[in-house]
Amino acid sequence: MYPASTHTEVTSTGIPSGKLGMWLFLASEVMFFSGLIGAYIVLRASLPTWPHPGEDLSIPLAALNTFILLSSSMTMALAVASVAYADIKKIRLFLILTIVLGSAFLCVKGYEYSIKFAHGHFPGTSIFWDCYFTLTGFHGIHVLAGIITNLWVLGLTFRGDFLQRKGHLVDLSGLYWHFVDLVWIFLFPLLYLI
Amino acid sequence: MTSYGKYLLIWVWLIALLAAGTYTSSLPISKTQAVLLILFISLIKAGLVCLFYMHLKSERLVPIWVVAIFPFVLIGLAALLVLLGPYLLS
Repeated sequence: MYPASTHTEVTSTGIPSGKLGMWLFLASEVMFFSGLIGAYIVLRASLPTWPHPGEDLSIPLAALNTFILLSSSMTMALAVASVAYADIKKIRLFLILTIVLGSAFLCVKGYEYSIKFAHGHFPGTSIFWDCYFTLTGFHGIHVLAGIITNLWVLGLTFRGDFLQRKGHLVDLSGLYWHFVDLVWIFLFPLLYLI
Repeated sequence: MTSYGKYLLIWVWLIALLAAGTYTSSLPISKTQAVLLILFISLIKAGLVCLFYMHLKSERLVPIWVVAIFPFVLIGLAALLVLLGPYLLS
């Protein structure tokens, strides 16, 4: 389902320009994380030993964070659906829930970092910790960017002409948020479970 | 079913798959089996997010699919590298 939006500038591909731009941006993000995850896999495969799952990292904490991020994707999808129903109150409600859940994800991640620091694990301690902090750090920055974007869109919903002129922004912001969720769907097993 | 109901149902599936993947990591099975199973579950989760939350199920446009399919190719390569790592070293 697509949201009701007046964003009708369709490119020669048949895709609205905003959506095409977002997908191209996401393609560049895929390449960015491909490089990071690729480096992680090559490093991991080239080392004779690697910490066992749950040995140095907390699986329950990471599972909780995955639960939070998956739930935030659901609330984001509900926000996009609410644009189609032209229900501005629900758009705001679900955007706020997404922002709160995203912030909760960062809080849990911050707590996890504080435990690692207390145990003397920092970037540079070992290749494993380099990989862990680099991958989760860059992902965390992307979550923060998603929260800021959603806050901006939430602010725009208070404009009287939001549904007529800016409704498509919820869809675009949602695409980015789901992408951030997708990255974590793969980071969680790669870092914590296998 | 309204789209609200559909998205809630997908969320239930995602949480169930999260529980299944996390539980799989504690099963007394070989490393290879665990890696394959966990990555397979992750692929299903990613597929659900792409198809329903990112609306790829209703997209008919090739350019978007080309971009969207790339992470799946990547994770396949990742699985191969992790699985073949010990053989590449020896």
